[in-house]
Amino acid sequence: MYEGIKHIFKRTFTMKYPYQKPLLPKGFRGRHILYMEKCTGCGICAWICPERCISFVPPADGKERPQNPENRFPQYWYARCCFCHYCTDYCPTGALDYSPDYELAEYDRELLVWSPERLARIPKNGTYHSVFHGNKGSMGVTFEPVEKEPKT
Amino acid sequence: MSTQNLSRDEELVNKLKARFPEAIKASKIEETRRILVSFEKEKLLELATYVRDELGFDHLIGIAGVDDPTHKLIKVLYFAGSFTKKEIEDIILILEAELDRTTPVIASAVSVWPSAHFHERETFEMFGVKFEGHPDLRKLLTLDNWEGPPPMLKDVKFPEMGQR
Amino acid sequence: MSTTTPPAQTPPASMRITPSNEPSTMDVSVGPQHPGSGHVRLLMRVDGDYIVSIDPDVGYVHRGCEKIAEYRTAVSNIPHLERPCIIDAIHLNWGYVIPIEKLQGVVVPPRGQYISTIAAEMNRIMSHLYWLAINAGVFSGHTTIFMYAFGDRDLFIELAEMLTGARLTYSFLPPGGPRRDLPAEFQKRLTKLLDYFERRLVEYDRIFFSNPLVVARAKGIGVLTKAEAIRLGVTGPVLRGSGVGYDVRRVEPYGAYADLEFDIPTFEEGDSYARFMVRFEEMKQSIRIIRQALDQLPKGPIARKAPLIIPEGEAVGRVESARGEITYLVMGDNSDKPSRVKIMNGSFRNLIAMPYLIRNVHIADMPIIYGGIDYWPVEADR
Repeated sequence: MYEGIKHIFKRTFTMKYPYQKPLLPKGFRGRHILYMEKCTGCGICAWICPERCISFVPPADGKERPQNPENRFPQYWYARCCFCHYCTDYCPTGALDYSPDYELAEYDRELLVWSPERLARIPKNGTYHSVFHGNKGSMGVTFEPVEKEPKT
Repeated sequence: MSTQNLSRDEELVNKLKARFPEAIKASKIEETRRILVSFEKEKLLELATYVRDELGFDHLIGIAGVDDPTHKLIKVLYFAGSFTKKEIEDIILILEAELDRTTPVIASAVSVWPSAHFHERETFEMFGVKFEGHPDLRKLLTLDNWEGPPPMLKDVKFPEMGQR
Repeated sequence: MSTTTPPAQTPPASMRITPSNEPSTMDVSVGPQHPGSGHVRLLMRVDGDYIVSIDPDVGYVHRGCEKIAEYRTAVSNIPHLERPCIIDAIHLNWGYVIPIEKLQGVVVPPRGQYISTIAAEMNRIMSHLYWLAINAGVFSGHTTIFMYAFGDRDLFIELAEMLTGARLTYSFLPPGGPRRDLPAEFQKRLTKLLDYFERRLVEYDRIFFSNPLVVARAKGIGVLTKAEAIRLGVTGPVLRGSGVGYDVRRVEPYGAYADLEFDIPTFEEGDSYARFMVRFEEMKQSIRIIRQALDQLPKGPIARKAPLIIPEGEAVGRVESARGEITYLVMGDNSDKPSRVKIMNGSFRNLIAMPYLIRNVHIADMPIIYGGIDYWPVEADR
């Protein structure tokens, strides 16, 4: 009884979404960001994806990029994605990144397939620093403890 | 530490081999605390009773079925552990029986280790292994009206899952 | 010679409930919709207010985890295999990578072991809070503890989000070590949260564990004697509530547990109240473990490079999750996909206790016994 009365005068936990949004930590696993200048089209992201939601398509502008000989870029099917971000971790060039973008709901199912150009758009809250330092991905690389400031 | 444990594992295997010379086919100690012993499937109940009463492995952790189409076998592995005996409480004793793939039949271990009840039901429905003497052998996990083949066999493929 | 006479008190040999013409009994089906914990169906034969026998009809959430696991690569399997008990995901993940690391010959560096241990103990607290809220709280009608425990659990979830990036589906431990290091503010926030949580545990004691109503409902109900617990092969808090002090963290230390000091709470009575208290004490011990691990955190790399294929062979790994011991058998055949993954987890092993304990009890005792066992249907069905 005493416990109940004590809690009447305390602040409530509830957050009034969508007027108040949670503060997301760095490295939050939202949707992916694709840096088209770094992607080589190797296909490791598609191989490691547990849900097999990544397929490869040619870029919309048809431009040849020197680092991508087969001219193919990943296309994500977010209806299947489980947001484990193994693709981001295992990309050897660091062409994929985390973002705090999680409001991905659509009215049409076809709109859940994100083309490479749509993935390349940086979300409105600005550039998002990757958790991993430098340009290399993390496939087997030893990590350094987080005492240094992360560089892009 | 590891040599000490290895000799303890080997001692157990030697005891088993001394008691059942013709029933034990092979043994393997791949790492410490995991002893794999293959045996003739007819001797299951005697071996299990000996393992439980004399050696002190008082409970069954689980029963695993493994399908081996290249050798035309279905292997049934019994994982036994010990809660009470301090010297062997970290060992898992794995007893392996090899059954014919077309008609896999083996005696039920429910009279020795009661916890085998649900494990044997699951192995029955997933691999088609019949456990003789089990009081209530029926499907456990799949649909009530599943009429298809035992799902875990290697030649049962579900196309949605992709290539292996 | 070939069979031993079963002792006097055995679970009913055949649990199948066949239609009978007895006028005094009725067959009631509890489930299969979500009775709070997951989809499970208990077919009960009821005589007035007494349950005569029960047939646990499980399999409503069976998805063929083990079959699918043969079609995914070793790393891709991790989000798949941690989903069965998602509130305890780190343990399901860790138990799967321990045999893979043994087969591949990869040794995780000490800092990685400590980080895995911290994440695992946080997950144990989160799982026990969920148990307290739903299985022990809502099932016995105590909705206040539901609100309190879920509120505190959310604070832990926010910290886990800071560490791994996801609230519940971590996929944090691929073979070789954890994916990320501790963020800069993590240690300070976690210490603050642990201090706050210790004060909350005192409140929980006052409103739930020492509540005379809960004590009256749970004491003496569903007694599992020590000999029966050993014979039935139950595991986890069900085993430790019956007097057997067996914990895989003590018996076969993995991670950083060999260097840390903690107790294994064991209670002798074997009733539902003892099982409740085991989990309560385990939360306190988890706080102790996390504090020590944060103090003793070594420096250095957190992960090692792991090969992409699983060599030929088989290995068995065990961890102690919140619901009991999980044992994984992983067999490889020199390809990137395992050839057999067998999961023996706590909920499936404790299933045998249900028809044994829920016999000749009142109907109102059934939720207490069921909540005390902490059965998670998705984990048992895989």
